[in-house]
Order: sequence, then structure tokens, then C-alpha cells
Amino acid sequence: MSWLRIRELVRKEFIQLFNDKRNRAMIMIMPFIMMFVFGYVVNYDIKNVRMAVLDYSKTPESRSLIKSFEGNNIFHVTHVVANEKHMTELLLRQKIDVGIKIGHDFASVMREGRTAPVQFLVDGSMSNMTSVRVAYIASILDRFNREELRKLYPVDMSYGKLDARVRTWYNPNLDSQYFFVPGIVAFLIMLTSFILTSIAIIREKEDGTMEQLIVTPLKSYEFIIGKTIPYIIIALCQLFAVTAVAVYWFEIPFKGSFVLLLIAACLFLLSNLGIGLFISTISSTKQQAMMTAFFFILPFFMLSGFVFPIANMPEIVQWLTYLNPLRFFLVIIRDIFLKGVGMDVMWPQYLALSILGIIVFTGAIMRFKKRLD
Amino acid sequence: MKFIRLKAVTRKEFYHLIRDYRSLYLAFAIPLLLIILFGYALSLDVDNVETVFVDYDKSELSRDFIRKLDASPYFRVSALLPASKDAVDFLDHDRAKLAIVIPPDFKKSIGADREIQLQIIIDGSDPSFGNIVRGYISAFVERYNQKMLIHFLNRQGQERIHPPVDGRVRIWFNEDMESRNFIIPGLIAVIIMIVGAILTSLIIVREYENGTMETIKSMPVQAGEFLLGKAIPYFFIGLTDLLIAVLLGQLLFGIVMKGNFGLLMVAASLYLSVALSLGILISNVTKSQMLANQMAILTTYLPSLLLSNFVFPIINMPKFLQMITLVVPARYFIDILSGIYLKNLGIAYLWPSMLVLLLMFIVLTFLNYKMLKKEGL
Repeated sequence: MSWLRIRELVRKEFIQLFNDKRNRAMIMIMPFIMMFVFGYVVNYDIKNVRMAVLDYSKTPESRSLIKSFEGNNIFHVTHVVANEKHMTELLLRQKIDVGIKIGHDFASVMREGRTAPVQFLVDGSMSNMTSVRVAYIASILDRFNREELRKLYPVDMSYGKLDARVRTWYNPNLDSQYFFVPGIVAFLIMLTSFILTSIAIIREKEDGTMEQLIVTPLKSYEFIIGKTIPYIIIALCQLFAVTAVAVYWFEIPFKGSFVLLLIAACLFLLSNLGIGLFISTISSTKQQAMMTAFFFILPFFMLSGFVFPIANMPEIVQWLTYLNPLRFFLVIIRDIFLKGVGMDVMWPQYLALSILGIIVFTGAIMRFKKRLD
Repeated sequence: MKFIRLKAVTRKEFYHLIRDYRSLYLAFAIPLLLIILFGYALSLDVDNVETVFVDYDKSELSRDFIRKLDASPYFRVSALLPASKDAVDFLDHDRAKLAIVIPPDFKKSIGADREIQLQIIIDGSDPSFGNIVRGYISAFVERYNQKMLIHFLNRQGQERIHPPVDGRVRIWFNEDMESRNFIIPGLIAVIIMIVGAILTSLIIVREYENGTMETIKSMPVQAGEFLLGKAIPYFFIGLTDLLIAVLLGQLLFGIVMKGNFGLLMVAASLYLSVALSLGILISNVTKSQMLANQMAILTTYLPSLLLSNFVFPIINMPKFLQMITLVVPARYFIDILSGIYLKNLGIAYLWPSMLVLLLMFIVLTFLNYKMLKKEGL
């Protein structure tokens, strides 16, 4: 093995890469665009639920019920309607998310000590958001009930009540960005290493320079090393850059150790570069390589737990996710950012990444060498 | 416009398409993959939250509380742990999402009508999940408290006491509360965009790269015939994909369209035309296939996925992103899709979205026509 030959190949690769204006843009600007768009798009916070009120009762009781919904910053009464038709219309036109209907006899039934029904119409289209909204409606009603009972029965109300002290760990304010921004860091590294590596090799094929390389004294493993080193360097630079954006722009806490993150990134890159090499062996044009990469990226992205929780998937698919390097890297990167845990907790992920990386990379090299020889 | 010339362009484009097996593969395999993945594997709904308890009280009452929680479909009690630090361990290792600590004097306090603190810890690293769990557990505790209060009042007075208000919640449009019921229809918009815009983004730039544009210019074919002829094969692929998506959604996942199929076809054709003209526009302005492909992914695929209300609610985005969504065609089509699929809406409700799509189509086609004319076609 000759370091000189590898070094020269790496240098050639860098010159080629940065001579092309479009490549420069893709490497240097794309990550930031993606980071900003993703960072702001994925947000499942429950707030600004638009509510329409249909109050047939118009009594102090009904007003106090409505008030208990306005009293928190989740529900906002945006429409007061006069009939059911209007409410249905608003719901169909997506102007409101929740409608509340209070009947004529609401107050009188309550005063008699019976239970007055209150109707809620909830837009269920986005079921994940809806289930939280329904849970909040239930809690607000229960709280209202307790206050009303207190008014109706003016006795000493100290009873065995549960005082729930709910704390959310790792992400105390349930800030969506805390969860998704570290994930984007992982996703971006995958994206660039997949596409750039496969294209780097295809380019030689397409331009016909592969033959020239083969007649040089360059050995095939030197070729592979020389072709992958630039992308390892680029991916690690991107890791630095986007982590800095995550920490300084999005103000995501970085609790763990950066060295551990770097090690994990290198292990993760191993399998990514392997897949990039593999794509280059099954494609003959850049176009095909891009499409094939696209086809690989989709399931890797979807089955990683980035947006869709793995725990919700059927058992078989959950097993399949163990073949996905992104899945492990995501756990590591989120743990390092948010939990700050160390090797004692994360070693299974590191082990899995190493095993996957070694298998994929050697497999790809073997296939690639056969092609080359 | 002459039919025979149109036919010739269409045939030429059609041959291009079937000879490039990778593109065809993209056109049919990616929609299939997406639908199967989303329909079968991906869900945003939360139930059976892994819960661990630390029960310091070990009384009848505390065990009853645990049982009640376990009986709810939202939670699954997976372990009873001896000490709080074990619960911390479970959360750190991601073996539980929710930990509840019952203090030692639980039963005594409740028996003596005193308030008692319950420690509840949620793994909030996934905020959408954490939010849902927090909503569930708060509702559960409130319900428990209400029962305790009524129980207490019943002990005080003689008559039976009822809670004053009962919420009758009716869910509309997606009664089974399954996320796939809105994801699969939304996916149709993403798929059509992939097929329509990403594939077509190459069709004109390819002629430039291969140097065949000059040949075409020297032929009697006119800009309009050229545009239409190029688009027709992709139009049929797009419609085929639509049918695949509708059929698979219905047969495999039981997602039934409530509305009118004819209306869906009309709206889909309109949206497909927008996608195609967008792809052709990209093809017109870029001068290399690589660049065209990247631009297509960046300006059509990603916005349809991210800025369209597909799974990421627009209402939660910052204002400037909300403004951008106004020019994303998928946003309007997803509106129409959810109207037809979930709400059984007719044209009376859907015409504004359709009008926007029509306007987009007219503007894009005009631009395409102008650009081809300028090139001398």
C-alpha cells in the first residue's frame, strides 16, 4: 500500500469535487437548508386548538364552562356560532378543530344535581393530534366538575385527592426541536455520504476515466480508500457544522461528549460508505445512482424512528429496523444531545453499528473489487 | 396543433420511458413501497405505553390504582420495581416510557382525606409522544380524582351525587382514530408529485444534453405539440399510480373513500397536470440532468412531504413557513384528498382548492410555452 498514491487520489477527488459549482452548493448549502426547514416543520406541540362555541344555555354555568376552556393556552375560542349548521360548516371547512355544544337545559339539569351532557365535535383527521386534544378536553371537564361540586356542596372539601406531579425528562418542555434537530444531523450525514460516494465512482465510469485509473499502479483497495476518505472528511465537517447550528441556533442542549459522537459518526459512516459503494456497483449512470440512492434512503428514513416511533410498528418490522444503521445512530445522537449518557448505557448501539458497518463495508468492497478486476 | 405530430412526440417519449427500466421502476416501485410502509408499518398513534410502577405503599388501594391504569388501553404496566432508582434506570435504558411512584402513605392519606403527591415521570425525548402520554395520564388522574370526590361527597351527604357535566365527545371524519386513514390519502399527493415532477424534470434537459434538441427544433413540431406530447405518457403513469394507491389502500388497509371517485379523478388530473408542468419547467430552466434531478427533489418532493399538511401540521409552523406553504400545490391537493376521503365533501366545498390548482397549471404552462418559444421551437 502506498500512501503517496492514496494521497494523490484524495487530492484529485477534492479538486474535482470543489471545481464543480453545483457540487460545492450541494455540499455546503444543502445541509443548512435542510436543517432549517426540518427544524421548523416538524412540530407536534398541542397549542392553538381552534374552538367554536354553540351556547344554547347562556347561563353563568355555561359561561363558566367555556371560560374553563379559555383559561389555558391550548384552546382558543375563535368562533361563537348560533346554530349547529354553522358549526358543522366550520368543521368541514377546517376553520375549527373542536366544537362545543351546550344544550338549553344545561344549567337547570346541573342545578337539580343531575348530569348535564355537553357535546363535543372533534375533527379527527390527524388522529395523533386529536387523541391529545380529546384527553385535554376530558381533563378540563373533570376539573370543571370538581369545582362545580365544590360550589354545589359547600362543605369542607379536603378529600383524598391525587396531586399528580408530572415531569417530562430529557426534554422538559416537550420541545419538538429538541427531538428532531439532532435527528436531522444524523439524516444529513446519511444523505451526503450515500449520494456523494456513489456518484464519485460513477463519475469515473461515465467519463471513461475508470480505464485510465485501472492502468495506473493504483491498487483496487487504494482506490477504495482514496475514494472514501474525502467523503469521510466532508461528512465529519458537516457533522461539526450542523451540530453547531443545532446548539447555537436552535439552542438544543448538548449534554454528552463530542468525542463519543465522533466515534459513533465514524462507525455510522462505515456502513453508509459501504452502501454508497454498493449503489455504484449496480448503477451505470449518475442518474441511476441518484434514483437508487433515493430508493434506499426512503425506507432507511421511515424505519429509523426519526418521525415514526418504532414502538408503534408491527413486530416483524421492528425486527427489520435492527438492520438499519440510522436507527442506532439516531438513538446515540439523541442520547448524547438530550440525556448525556455514556458508553455504559449506549454500548449496545455502538456494537450494533460496528457489526453492521463491518459487514456492509466488507461486503461492498468484495463486490466492488470483483467488478473492478 | 396537429394530431399526427403530437402522436409522434408521444410515441418517442414513450419509448424513452420503457427503455429506461430504472425510471419505470421508480415510477411503480416507489409508490408501492411507500404505501406498504405507511399502511402497514408506520403509525403516529400511541397506545399501550410501557409503564413501570414503584409502589412504596403496597396496599390494596395502590394495587387497585395500578390495575385500573393497566386496564386502560393507553397504558401497559410492564414492571413493578422496588425503588425509584430502578425506574430511573428503566427510563435511561429506554425500557419504559412512563414511570409512576406511589408514596408510602398513599392509602393512609386518602383514607384520612388528605391530598397525596404522585410522582409521574414521562420520557419526553419524543415530544409528540410525550405530549400524548401527558394528555392521557393527566386525564386518567383527573378522572380518578373526580371519582374520589364523588365518593367523598356520597359519604358526607345522604343522596347520590352525580358529576355535573358529562362530555360526549364525537370524533368526525376519522372515527377509528387511525393515523393511516389520513396518511395514505395524503401519500397519493406525494406519489403523484414524485412521478409527475421528478421523472418529467429530465425530459427536456435530456434533449439538450444528448444534443437532440437541435434535431427537434429543425422539425415541423410546434411548442404546444412538443409540450403535450412529452407530458402524455407521464400523465398515464401518474393516473395508474393513483389507481394503485386507491386500490391498495382499500384492499390491503381497508381505507374506504367516503366521497365521489369521479371528483377525485378530476382533482387528481388537475394536480397531476400541475406536477407535470412543474417538472417540465425545471427541465426547461436547468441545463444538466443532475441539476434537474436535485432541483426536482428540492422544490417538489420535499415540499410535498414537509410543507403540505401531510403528516406535519401546517398550523404549528412559524408564520414564514406557513406563507411558503401557500405556493405548494400538494397542500391544496391534500386538502381535496382529505375532503373526499374522510369528509365526503362535494365540489361546493372543494372548488377553492381546485381553482388554485387550475391557476397554477395555467401560469406554469404559460411559462413553459414562452420558454420553448424563446428557444426557437
